[in-house]
Amino acid sequence: MNKPANNLRNAFSTIGKSVKREDVIEKVTGEGVYVADLKPVGMLYGKIKRSEVAHARIKRIDVSKALAYPGVKAVLTHEDVPRVLHYGSPHPRSVSCTKDQYILDDKVRYWGEGVAAVAAISEEIADEALDLIEVEYEELPAVFTPEEAMKPGAPQIHEVGPGGNLVLDPVRVERGDVDKGFAEADFVLEGEFSGGRPMPGYMEPNVCLADWDGSGKLTFWTSTQSSFMVRGILAEVLGLPRTKVRVLVDHMGGGFGAKQDCFQHEFLCALLARETRKPVRMEFTRCETFLAGRSRHPFKLWLKQGFRKDGTITARDMRIVFDSGAYGSHSPGVTTVGTNSATSLYRCENVRLDGRAVYTNTPIAGAFRGYGVVQTYYALDIQMDEAAERLGMDPADLKLKNAVREGDIAPSGHAIVGHGLEACIEHGTRVFDWKGLRQGARCPDPAASHVRKGWGLGCEMHGSSAYPGIKEQGNALIKVNEDGSVTLMTGAAGLGTGAHTALAQIAAEELNMPFESVSVVHGDTDAVPWDIGAFASHTTYLVGSATRMAAAEARAGILRRAAEKLQTTADALDMVDGRIFLRASPDSGLTVAEAMGPTPGIPSANILGRGTYEPTKSYSFAAHFVEVTVDTETGLVTVDRVVPVHDVGKVIHPIAAAGQIEGGIQQGIGHTLTEDYIIDTETGRSLNAGLVDYKMPLSMDMPDIDTVILEAAPDPGGPWGAKGVGEDPIIAIGPAIANAIHDAIGVRFHHYPITPEDILNALNEKERQS
Amino acid sequence: MKQIVELTINGDPQSLAVEGHRSLLDTLREEAGLTGTKKGCDVGDCGACTVIVDGQPVNACLMLAVEAQGRNVETVEGMQQSIDILHPLQDAFMRHGASQCGFCTPGILMMARKLIEENPDPSDDEIRFGLSGNICRCTGYTKIFDAVRSAAAEIRAVRAQEETV
Repeated sequence: MNKPANNLRNAFSTIGKSVKREDVIEKVTGEGVYVADLKPVGMLYGKIKRSEVAHARIKRIDVSKALAYPGVKAVLTHEDVPRVLHYGSPHPRSVSCTKDQYILDDKVRYWGEGVAAVAAISEEIADEALDLIEVEYEELPAVFTPEEAMKPGAPQIHEVGPGGNLVLDPVRVERGDVDKGFAEADFVLEGEFSGGRPMPGYMEPNVCLADWDGSGKLTFWTSTQSSFMVRGILAEVLGLPRTKVRVLVDHMGGGFGAKQDCFQHEFLCALLARETRKPVRMEFTRCETFLAGRSRHPFKLWLKQGFRKDGTITARDMRIVFDSGAYGSHSPGVTTVGTNSATSLYRCENVRLDGRAVYTNTPIAGAFRGYGVVQTYYALDIQMDEAAERLGMDPADLKLKNAVREGDIAPSGHAIVGHGLEACIEHGTRVFDWKGLRQGARCPDPAASHVRKGWGLGCEMHGSSAYPGIKEQGNALIKVNEDGSVTLMTGAAGLGTGAHTALAQIAAEELNMPFESVSVVHGDTDAVPWDIGAFASHTTYLVGSATRMAAAEARAGILRRAAEKLQTTADALDMVDGRIFLRASPDSGLTVAEAMGPTPGIPSANILGRGTYEPTKSYSFAAHFVEVTVDTETGLVTVDRVVPVHDVGKVIHPIAAAGQIEGGIQQGIGHTLTEDYIIDTETGRSLNAGLVDYKMPLSMDMPDIDTVILEAAPDPGGPWGAKGVGEDPIIAIGPAIANAIHDAIGVRFHHYPITPEDILNALNEKERQS
Repeated sequence: MKQIVELTINGDPQSLAVEGHRSLLDTLREEAGLTGTKKGCDVGDCGACTVIVDGQPVNACLMLAVEAQGRNVETVEGMQQSIDILHPLQDAFMRHGASQCGFCTPGILMMARKLIEENPDPSDDEIRFGLSGNICRCTGYTKIFDAVRSAAAEIRAVRAQEETV
């Protein structure tokens, strides 16, 4: 089946319009069903006993008191569960997975890891039973930083893997001749960068509900971005055929990438339900979303670049070490994507990169919006700012000069098709009044000389798919109903992005039928086509393309059916806005309902459109322009204003796209200034696993955001040129803020979060040196 | 031991048997079947469980059900003006894209309703301050501010029209 051509049309009927999201009515009325809202009759409550040491062998685990506690129905330890080594992130068809987990092991690898699970008739009883489980540990030496973990003779956390606590073999990328490039440089910049452990902070704590029927089939509701992946790995580890596992998810309260793993509690919930022959629901506390959720990878990075006097980059040498925590999870993907990203954004022919992920006895790092690229582009963009300073150039001019162009080899190894970065920088420079502002005073109020202003620019590019790391496949089915409506069946998860609405818009546009005639069925692995999961900013691009193909096939079927009824041929017909007519006489025609419904002699039709799309790669681009205020007495940084300029190709739903950008900025401000999940480097304990001590930006902290969406570089691989948008904003905002802080106070920071304490210490140091 | 708590929820008199330690949040969700109010943290940090008790916004996770004895509780399920007509805030949240994953939405709607009732024409800073106890992690708040402003203006316009009639 051929993909419909991206024929340029001046007017679109549905895409490009902010139609009412099909799922939001349920969200504003409280009727939307999230997994924690389900309570089947006889349901039990599951809870997990968590380790209080960071690295140990379990010598003895005694559950007799817990089992005897009234109301407790089952207790599971490592002795009771299948011992199958499995992936945390088993992306099908991915080259980069790590099998390093058991459901429960006789070993614990971080403080907070699950060691046993309880099912009881109430949450309180389950909680109390956890305290009755006695665990005797034989403590093992632990390592809490990659530096310690990589030392020769360091305690080994896993028996699997290449050794030396590496999760995977180093990712090495080499293009051109780096040594020659440095030899040709007029000057060289070299710096070390690092970043903390930000959490996704989704509002809905992880939750699942398991129920087995009499035939041995598991029905499993879970808050996941990847329901087919959960089905696959549950089936594999529990030894079931895929048809005996049905995964359901309707509404979910955010994921931001982290709800892509198959989590320990998901296996345990399923096993507790099988053991008790009752439905079991397991819901994380907020604290557990930290202990057992997934963070962004903390990192250390060394970056050296050579520059000519005209601003050309002659060579780039980078090494990055990601802290994977106790398990591999997404480390192979993050390391590959993050390391490769440094080949691009700013052009350089001579590149040498080395990326590693290292096990430590800390909570697990996984997938989180930005996927390794947040870290590398933070360093790369800040160093570009330093180069501009050294050259006496405007940073926007230097970044524009070096911006990735059409035909350049992208991080994926493919030639860049559309290049929107120049357009983003140029447009933003104008609308932000970049040059004018940067000429202004850094101390706008002479009476308050401790309050300084600064302006910064940060740039990024990010793929709208995980290709080539994962060979993705988007699928869609469209069923035409006898009343003239259509049903789109998709496995794409609704994290909250509005993806289902965008897909319905795409279907309506290709069908050339009203948006209201499309309804969406999703979230049931028994009913919808296989889906790879909602991640990598790819749903609109990937599943959108498949949806468009399915819609084209359904439309052709509708026209064939109408032709039968009108006793003509399908190519004599057209359909506009759901009305079918003869091209030769547009005034006469029939509705889709009339075409589809049964008439004497012709039964109702069975028309199904199918779409399958396997993408390569497209890139979206962004430039963020930021104004900050730095109070040099308190060290407080306030982000006052952001103008994010994004090229997302053809925009399908402008308000939803802007919502992605603004939300990404919120999370990015967080990891740049205030958010860091802190693990005690003596004991491995979590020090701030809660929403008071882990400080996310709230309503009072948010800047004015004037979002600009350009359709500068539509990609032929996406529906009408649409590309991804989900991850881009969180990548650009960090370096923009760091660069703006430098502009305000003349201090460079190479790490995040940049706290008030860091600001004050740096200002004191600066004063001492001068 | 369970005790009977008599209270009004969204205008309906209810008599619920609850244990003394049960929070109002768990009682609404598990006993009254009103799952629109969400549990984001259960310790009063996130605002997802905001409900209105006797006219005051409350984190339902921090209030015991027995404390609600004889009181009037309003949740998101009671927000609609009628079965067909949304509250202007609900409608504005839909139009402006103020709800993404939707998990914080019921709490923010309740808080915003209270805000607009007390202050029909809030400034941007007053909206920010009014919602400072409610965490939204999806939207960056921009669209929420847009929706609250828009709903407040709509409510003012309707009132002005009613007054002239």
